[in-house]
Amino acid sequence: MPLRSTERDWGALVRAFHWLIAVLIVAQGVIGLSMVQMGLTPAKVRVFALHKSIGMTILALVLLRIAWRLTERRPADPPGMPRWQRRAAHALHLALYVLILAIPLSGWWFNSTANAPLVWFGWFDIPGLTGGYDPVWKPRALLLHQTLFWILVALLVGHVGAALWHHFRERDDVLRRMTVGARKQNGEIR
Amino acid sequence: MMKRLGGLCIAMLLGLAAPALAQTWQVDAAHSTLTFTNTYQNVEYTGQFRRFDADIAYDPDDLAHAKFDVSVDITSLDTRNSERDHTALGVEFFDAAKFPKAHFVTTAFRKGANGKVVADGVLTLRGVSKPVELTVDFAPRGDTATLDVTAPLKRLDFGIGGGQWADPSMIGNGVTVRGHLLLRKASR
Repeated sequence: MPLRSTERDWGALVRAFHWLIAVLIVAQGVIGLSMVQMGLTPAKVRVFALHKSIGMTILALVLLRIAWRLTERRPADPPGMPRWQRRAAHALHLALYVLILAIPLSGWWFNSTANAPLVWFGWFDIPGLTGGYDPVWKPRALLLHQTLFWILVALLVGHVGAALWHHFRERDDVLRRMTVGARKQNGEIR
Repeated sequence: MMKRLGGLCIAMLLGLAAPALAQTWQVDAAHSTLTFTNTYQNVEYTGQFRRFDADIAYDPDDLAHAKFDVSVDITSLDTRNSERDHTALGVEFFDAAKFPKAHFVTTAFRKGANGKVVADGVLTLRGVSKPVELTVDFAPRGDTATLDVTAPLKRLDFGIGGGQWADPSMIGNGVTVRGHLLLRKASR
């Protein structure tokens, strides 16, 4: 599996970014939804700290992923895919990129307006984005963080649904090229 | 006019009658702060108590008659984090419903090893009374003066956040309290 993407297949680095970020996002959703239900104990403080650390990790990975994507071309859409589907797929992918950047940023913003600590896995202190405690913007930042999360959930239903539809109904390589790799074409030597 | 002169006479008489009293000062609350630093998840933060009363009698040349008597409104806590303030006032921490005031009173003043004035006193916080040492920095300027005091405390000595919250990597045990007071000469 080559590191770089080709005309027909995603490269190893793109696949690694995709699945690493995917796993972290699922974990983050589960942690985020559970932690707000917890009673106030030191455990809750630690789970919040974990959520923040994972969120900042996702932000960093997404930035690296975008930087890498800018250096290479994406594989071509499957032949015969209708124009509206291509457009919808590309718009959805762009929206996902925007959300996975905006959600950690809005969380960081909320944390900053709450004047709460942000120590990456207990390792180093990440400064706030605002000038400290801000009771006016704090509830807005939280609302934004939560709203963007639920929009992401809705778009992920579409993203996963479309991947499965490509694989099981269209029987093309869309899911395969992000997992095990595209099928060999007749006579192709890889 | 006569009344004012009369008052002045009485004040002078009282002054003569009580020569041993150290200069008393009034605290300019608008220009005075009572702050503390502590750590939360190993990150330092500063909080303050916005309301406190201090009776200050102090003359650097007459430490024998100096006295600080300070009462702090615990509910005026502000750490610039509303969740933290709410939690801190709860039963597990300051328990402000049961102990709304902290009180500090000096017992003696002396010169410390480094030449600084040290005030020994007793702090009563959350129902616990413990001896506390203040480092005193007094700077007179005509009819006003600034008084800066610093005191290192251990929150767990006073039962603030014991039990599950005792872990110092979550909330540091050491707390440095700082008072910065602008004083104006009070008539005796």
